[in-house]
Amino acid sequence: MRRHRAVVPQDRRSRGRNLTRLGFLLDSDSCIGCHACTVACKSEHEVPLGVNRTWVKYIETGAFPNVDRHFSVMRCNHCDNAPCITICPTGALFRAANGVVDFDDSNCIGCKGCMNACPYDAIYINPATNTANKCNFCNHRIDQGLEPSCVVVCPTHAIKVADLDDPDDETTKIIACGDTAVRAPQQQTLPKVYYRGAEAAALDPLRTAIAADGMIWADTTPQHPTAEATGHGVVARTTYTTAHQMTWKAKVSSYLVTKAVAAGVMAVASLLVLLGHGGSQAAVGVVPPLVAGFFLAVTGGLLVGDLKRPERFYYLITRPNRRSWLVKGAWVLGAFAAVCAAWFLAGVAGSSGALAALAVPAMLLAAATAGYTAFLFGQCEGRDLWQTPLLLPTLLAQAAAAGGATYAVADLVMEVPEPAVARWVMLGGIGACGLLVAAEAASRGTAHVEAAVAAMTRGRYARRFWAGGVVLGLALPAAAVAVALAAGTGPALPAVAGAAAIVGMWFYEDSFVRAGQSVPLS
Amino acid sequence: MTELHSYAPHETWHDAVSLDAKAWPRRVEHHHTLVPTTCFNCEAACGLVCHVNHATGRIDRVEGNPLHPASRGRNCAKGPATLNQIDDHERILHPLRRAGERGGGQWERVSWAEALDDIGGRVRAAIAEGRHDEVMYHVGRPGEDGYAERVLQCWGVDGHNSHTNICSSNARIGYQSWMGHDRPSADFANAEVIFLISSHLEAGHYFNPHAQRIIEAQGQGATVICVDPRLSNTGAKADFWLPAWPGTEPFLLLAIARLLLESGAWERDFVRRWTNWETYLRQRHPQRPVAFESVGPALLEDYAAYTPEEAERVCGVPSAQITEVARTIGAHPTKFASHNWRAAGAGNLGGWQTARCLFFLNVLTGSVGTVGGTTGNGWNKYKAPHPPGAPPVQQWNELNWPPEYPLAYHEMSILLPHFLREGRGRLEVYFSRVYNPVWTNPDGFSWLEALKDPDKVGCHVALTPTWSETAVFADYVLPMGVGAERHDVASFETHAGRWIGFRQPVLRRFAEIRGEAVGHATRTHEFNPGEVWEENEFWIELSWRIDPDGALGIRRWFESPVHPGTPMSVDDYYSTMFEGVPGLAAAAAAAGQTPLEFMRDRGAYALDGDMYQPYEREVDPSGLTDCDLDAAGVFRRPGTPGAWSGAPEELAGLKLAGLGDGSPAVEVDGVPREGFPTPSRKLELYSQTLADWGWPEYATPAWIPSHVHWEDLDLSGDERILLPTFRIPTLIHTRSANSKWLSELSHRHPLWIHPSDAEALGIALNGLVRITTRIGHFVIGAWRTEGIRPGVVAASHHMGRWRLDAAAGGSWTGGDADITNDGTVWRLHRRGRPERHSSADPDTERIWWNDTGVHQNLTFCVQPDPISGMHCWHQRVRVGPAKPGDAYGDVVVDTSKAREAYREWLAMTRPAPGPGGLRRPLWYARPMKPAPTAYAL
Repeated sequence: MRRHRAVVPQDRRSRGRNLTRLGFLLDSDSCIGCHACTVACKSEHEVPLGVNRTWVKYIETGAFPNVDRHFSVMRCNHCDNAPCITICPTGALFRAANGVVDFDDSNCIGCKGCMNACPYDAIYINPATNTANKCNFCNHRIDQGLEPSCVVVCPTHAIKVADLDDPDDETTKIIACGDTAVRAPQQQTLPKVYYRGAEAAALDPLRTAIAADGMIWADTTPQHPTAEATGHGVVARTTYTTAHQMTWKAKVSSYLVTKAVAAGVMAVASLLVLLGHGGSQAAVGVVPPLVAGFFLAVTGGLLVGDLKRPERFYYLITRPNRRSWLVKGAWVLGAFAAVCAAWFLAGVAGSSGALAALAVPAMLLAAATAGYTAFLFGQCEGRDLWQTPLLLPTLLAQAAAAGGATYAVADLVMEVPEPAVARWVMLGGIGACGLLVAAEAASRGTAHVEAAVAAMTRGRYARRFWAGGVVLGLALPAAAVAVALAAGTGPALPAVAGAAAIVGMWFYEDSFVRAGQSVPLS
Repeated sequence: MTELHSYAPHETWHDAVSLDAKAWPRRVEHHHTLVPTTCFNCEAACGLVCHVNHATGRIDRVEGNPLHPASRGRNCAKGPATLNQIDDHERILHPLRRAGERGGGQWERVSWAEALDDIGGRVRAAIAEGRHDEVMYHVGRPGEDGYAERVLQCWGVDGHNSHTNICSSNARIGYQSWMGHDRPSADFANAEVIFLISSHLEAGHYFNPHAQRIIEAQGQGATVICVDPRLSNTGAKADFWLPAWPGTEPFLLLAIARLLLESGAWERDFVRRWTNWETYLRQRHPQRPVAFESVGPALLEDYAAYTPEEAERVCGVPSAQITEVARTIGAHPTKFASHNWRAAGAGNLGGWQTARCLFFLNVLTGSVGTVGGTTGNGWNKYKAPHPPGAPPVQQWNELNWPPEYPLAYHEMSILLPHFLREGRGRLEVYFSRVYNPVWTNPDGFSWLEALKDPDKVGCHVALTPTWSETAVFADYVLPMGVGAERHDVASFETHAGRWIGFRQPVLRRFAEIRGEAVGHATRTHEFNPGEVWEENEFWIELSWRIDPDGALGIRRWFESPVHPGTPMSVDDYYSTMFEGVPGLAAAAAAAGQTPLEFMRDRGAYALDGDMYQPYEREVDPSGLTDCDLDAAGVFRRPGTPGAWSGAPEELAGLKLAGLGDGSPAVEVDGVPREGFPTPSRKLELYSQTLADWGWPEYATPAWIPSHVHWEDLDLSGDERILLPTFRIPTLIHTRSANSKWLSELSHRHPLWIHPSDAEALGIALNGLVRITTRIGHFVIGAWRTEGIRPGVVAASHHMGRWRLDAAAGGSWTGGDADITNDGTVWRLHRRGRPERHSSADPDTERIWWNDTGVHQNLTFCVQPDPISGMHCWHQRVRVGPAKPGDAYGDVVVDTSKAREAYREWLAMTRPAPGPGGLRRPLWYARPMKPAPTAYAL
């Protein structure tokens, strides 16, 4: 067999490497909806069934005979201000020198944060690798001076590459004319995928809905979100799109609760120390850090368990992206765990002095543990519901309620100093939660927020929200604790109230987590 | 425009470096050899380039071929999906022989030698015993130009059968009756008005090459008009979408023609010079003087009833829109590009008038063969010369060419099971090749009855890469290569230009490039997966088995010209062919290659020459001295059908032309010019042939009310028109089901129904519907859409695949089904949906869809147009909610009713003989034109 030497002309390679800010022009005027780009991409990247880096969305508008069908290609927007890069804890998603948002499978831990950060439904978990993948502009081809495979295959040249830093680039000139649109500009991600001739409704997923009789020639996966549930300004019908399933589910809802319990119990313990009960060795010095430690361990287990690549969890520490609240959250949880450990040692040693010294740091770290998720969810730019400024106070109030509730349950089996403190903390927490949740449910924000709130309070998560979150988690325990405080009952009633508050809190979290992801992004 | 390349430069194709997509951003280099071939999915045969990995010897990717003049490096979804077909884990890898009863699903592996010996012996016996007509080759997608015909001709067998009369017979006769050429070749790229009775932006001949050029023209300002009762993707992109009632399209076109005539926006001089208007006037308007001035008034008289208002009433398209469209067409003389191939043509009784009336607009606007107009395919398609073969056969196979259909444009293949049942003949060896009639043809249960009966079909040989509903009923299943595993040469009229494309076995070529010995005795199956052969080598090998000692005179046509006494190799074959292509040898020499090497390296070749208005070419009078000039100015050459007196004894001496009657020129304004391959050498406004062969009323463009004409239907009741034929951009008949990527994109074909119809018929949102046809019913799901004319329902003909046995492949879209029967009543009941399962392909664990569609065609009786023979696909149906006990996908058919329907449609014919006592006009094109004496009935 003859040996061949690689012959890649240097000028070819350098062409691909001189580009600095790549974007796409997707020309819906020319697009014929043939799906060639989808298949070329599947082939180029061996994309498994069920997920897509790029796809063609069809929508239909109007009534016979004034009816129309519009095609628009959907994919990663290679945002200049890319939320996926910000949230990615391990730098698996990164900005390439040519402006492309690229990724490195070998760094990905499969946290799926990027999937919630992306306002465009552009990222998926590759079932073959369990890592997050997306359009990377075929950067391995760009490097060799070749266009992306979707560009090459397109029969009508409806997909064009632009180097947006090059004013002489013909495609850049078209974009510069301003007769183009981008998806979700309000997210301020500075997308670099521009659409020409696209029907406005095709780019706004809240203006089209998937009807009950489905799509033109493909099944719709049952979990695919559609705007129809809310009917918010729907003007067109989606007749072809691909599946985008929810990524953060019960494990994340549970993590919010276990973390609240850990934080809350230490907060109440700190409060008791500050109230002078540092000498109560069991109920203040030893049991709270054990309970917190246990729930922190469960929290960690849930977090790691929710990773698609759990064996890589330590990359959070060894390959950290310091801007990601997943990383900062890990640090917070670690610090809180360390304080809990110190507290435990102090408690075992019976050193109320040490506990007094730890009380304020423990209180602060408990607050950070409970509250950091607000910042993490805030980095999920694709989930407007989670961007609410009420989330931080809600998480803190939940921690208070959970801490009081945990003490109320503990009161059944051990001697708790001043049980009324825990009861008042629980009542206060629940009361604050009630006010915050009411404010949230009544809030008017973006169409996206309203759609999510509707899903939570009137849509498919309403039962979870009302029966679980509000009645079981707030109303019943509040009433029970109020009765207990007023009547000075024994520990049984507050304990039941505490258990109900924690279980109800899970239902609330679950409705909030899922409703946030129920709004279609593509 | 960045300076990125679309493709690796051609000079690097033997060692192109690429980076591993999955390893990126780590830089892992791969070395590939890029081997060109052509796509074998749809007819367009777009260029492909296979990337063969040097380390693994496997094909990693299939991209476009930038050197292909039609596809220009771009492809539709089906091009790159070829990789799935190559890697298909369920493809058939070894020859199989039926072990139990036919259709019983039991098979045994057999050697190629055993299979060839048995089949060759049967063919030899049939030929030796004069039972030539018992050998039949039935082809779906040919994918090549003339190889199989040459084989059959060398066997002396008139056994070519095709799929054409479920496809394009109507369009062909419509075009041929104007210009002799039976296909349109539209110069979309340069057109100013594009008129499509087709869905060329998503399907059709030739989807990708045409879509490129239509969108290009539209971007430059061309107006696109699309006529379709449902909103196709093409309709959605068109500037005018005209959802005419099915079957009224000719009426609409004649209304436009009338407006052009009335407004004077027609090219008088072109019509005067290039139509047979004199004949028209004499035959239709004998009272008028035979002067061109009579033509306009005469046509206006003929089409007086076709007012815009009446067109609005009949077609359901607003008269204002019709007028605007006519004005647009009239404003762009010579730049009107139009196309009809299937659509209305394939749907309706008399659908052939769709193409005839559409091309009438080309004639009136002078847009024939012009820049931006439409020409005949024969001028933009180049049929490369095959090695010499036997003279025309002496046989006339009435199973394919029955006397009832003398003008049938192609074989009456849909009637084969009925003919066999009637005892018109039997088949000893029936080759089905890339064809799935049990599934694709109407009346599939009649096919099933015929194929199961060994008295009707002695030996059924299925040549196919994958299982199909038809292969299940074969005696031998012989695995043949897909697009990257076989040789073929084809050319299609995709644009104003001529080219040939070369399909080749990629790994064989890779071995050759890598310096492995690929010589005279080398065979493609040595490089293909398993024991997959290519058909070219199969036919050569089989011909040797048919005539091992050369006694039948067959073997000699399959002997190597280079190595006498040995079988011809594919290199022998294509070397001969390519040496005969004008200009190719010189281009190859300039590249320092033989023509074959040149084609193997590039995969396509564009012929030189401007083919615009070839009919205008002057003919040197010195070459016409042997001809007689007739009264119409046509030069008639003795010994050709054009000069035939009609005397039977002179028949044997005639030399038939492939196209036309052999007359070489026509005098126009005193100058001999090439003209058109029609008997008049002109565009035939009046078709004397149609008149002479029994259909004078349709000799000029006319509207024939369809068998599904809306005024005949009980639309206030539950009758509706079903459009069962439309294609979608991702699939191609039954051939693409073995692509997981295409199946993922499209796997259901719900019944399009307008919401007002759904309400009126009591069909719930997402409800099940029972569609009752003449011979049975099927149960399908409803899909409400505004994108369809009320009164019409439609479901794509893709999907609805089934398998009786999970071993028969079809993981992606094959629904498990049971077939039961009780006398003539057959039932197909679906057992399941595609299930996730483990296999060599991890993607079978990831199948996420539930639907595979419903098999509609089983419930359609044959509806052959009495003139063209085209199966008229549209169905007059009753539509209602599913009945108790109905399940999704159920099909019930009574084949005795199918036979009744067959007899009714047969009774509409006006049988041969025609003038001269012939079976068929001598000038008509026909696959494998036999010797002229065979035409005598």
